Amino acid sequence: MRQIAAAVAAVVLLSLSALAFGRSPIELLNILITGSIGSRFALEGTLLKSVPLLLTGLSVALAFRAGVWNIGGEGQFIVGAIAAIAAARFGVIASLVAAMLAGALWASIATAMRLWRNAPEVLTTILLNFIAIHLLGWCVNGPLQERGAQYPQTDVAASALPQVSELHAGVLLALLASLATWFLLYRTMEGLRLRATGFNARAAKWAGIDVNRQLVRAMAISGALAGLAGGIELLGVTHRLFERFAAGYGYSGIAVALLAQLHPLATIASAIFFGALVTGAGELQRSAGISSNVAAFGQAVVILVLILFGSWRTRD
Amino acid sequence: MIDVILHALPIAIVASTPLLLAVEGELVVQRAGIINLGIEGMMLTAAMTAVLAQQSMHSVFAGFIGGILGALLIALIFSVFAIRYRADQIVTGTAINLLALGLTGFVYQANGSLFAVSSMREVAQYAVVLIAWLVVPAILAIMLWMTRFGLRLRASGENPEAVQHVRAYRWSALAIEAVLVGIGGAYLSLALSSGFAENMTAGRGFIALSIVIFGRWKVRGAIIGTALFGVAAGLQYTLQAMSIGLPFHLLLAVPYVVTLLILCGFAGRVRAPESLGR
Repeated sequence: MRQIAAAVAAVVLLSLSALAFGRSPIELLNILITGSIGSRFALEGTLLKSVPLLLTGLSVALAFRAGVWNIGGEGQFIVGAIAAIAAARFGVIASLVAAMLAGALWASIATAMRLWRNAPEVLTTILLNFIAIHLLGWCVNGPLQERGAQYPQTDVAASALPQVSELHAGVLLALLASLATWFLLYRTMEGLRLRATGFNARAAKWAGIDVNRQLVRAMAISGALAGLAGGIELLGVTHRLFERFAAGYGYSGIAVALLAQLHPLATIASAIFFGALVTGAGELQRSAGISSNVAAFGQAVVILVLILFGSWRTRD
Repeated sequence: MIDVILHALPIAIVASTPLLLAVEGELVVQRAGIINLGIEGMMLTAAMTAVLAQQSMHSVFAGFIGGILGALLIALIFSVFAIRYRADQIVTGTAINLLALGLTGFVYQANGSLFAVSSMREVAQYAVVLIAWLVVPAILAIMLWMTRFGLRLRASGENPEAVQHVRAYRWSALAIEAVLVGIGGAYLSLALSSGFAENMTAGRGFIALSIVIFGRWKVRGAIIGTALFGVAAGLQYTLQAMSIGLPFHLLLAVPYVVTLLILCGFAGRVRAPESLGR
């Protein structure tokens, strides 16, 4: 219930921000709604935006469930896409597998630093985001730049996801990933161990669970999901890489997962809500000249309202 | 090699001044038991409010006050959620960063004139550098280790049960951090660049958190860590000038790689304040 209240509160606050521009909140709300679900075109846009959000949301949900602070979705998303375009000539499947592997490896750098050097993953994953962004900048200005080298972008990827009108097969893949994550977490022994580790690592250790192993696994799967998001966005939507490719999807995944209370199936609804918010914000920029940055603002408001309503408090 | 470093040091010290102020601020809050991941958003907000204040009052001093007020506003939001409502500090910090990124981007796109402040007089610039590298460390060292206030502030981070009014000490720590980060943010937009640009802090807040750990939560460690980082990160310009063929975009990643190495090389077995993050 409080999730819905938080979502509504965010939308209301966003609309009220119209007053700062001397416009009517009702008008703004109207643009936000018609721009995200008001037409077939808008609905497709919302669904397309929900796909990467669902996957990065799952990535965050799984990591947080295991008690690992993976704030590195943005970087894993980027290296996933870089690997995907590099492997695209071997076909869609190979390309997506490469994306997942790259994401998992990138996240595992942070795990290795945590296990060997005790470096907190909350910082190393964030720092790896910045490194991935500059790696991408180098790729699209250097080795992967398009033929003719006119713009800082790559050529169109050699393969693409099959699509029906605007919607690509990644929609199904993301839904499947969500089911698979749910199954892993709630229907397998490994999932139970993973959740136990996140709930109380000390108790899990006493119960004979290899906590470090759970950490390694959670981080790798989490990275793979974010990497897959990057691969699907590349092969289904942009078909090219460019400097601003990631567009904050990694960080948005945190808001998506928190609104879903870290539940893989609820993440679907949460991703669609934020997908609508991002799409509506894009329409605000086009038709009302209001910066689409309001989407990040909206995500922050959702998290803060959730806290006010009693989520994410330390229980003591 | 020594020559190269000696050459790089003055530039590194000036360029890392905002970072050092952030490190000092984060050191104080972490000593009081709080991890403020929202320091990135705090600095970004300060960088913007500083420019806004300077443009409306036509005074650099007003700009710095504006930066401090902006940072205090963010500290207030953070503390309401993380202290008053006992929310998870990492979750709150992440929300603060998104909030600041959204709000500053919003204001920036609404009036594009924010990248056009006249640059500060050199005397004023060096005054801030001096304050950050000498005055603040001295004050912090005395405050944290030689006063009753400092003892209780540190106890709030080690063993909060032993302290009356833990919240008051944590609130004060956040206020101190906000003042320092506010000055840092203002220095960034008014002195190091000629105005505000979107996401201009570029991870300085996170780098500051890493240096606090590297410096073992000590003032001396904070200064040495920041200077080391400044010189190492400054090497990107030296390498660029020597043009040994490393691509420009990869050189941009140097500061973050250096920070990772700092975290890995020296985090090792460190003892954080006992109740950090709780």
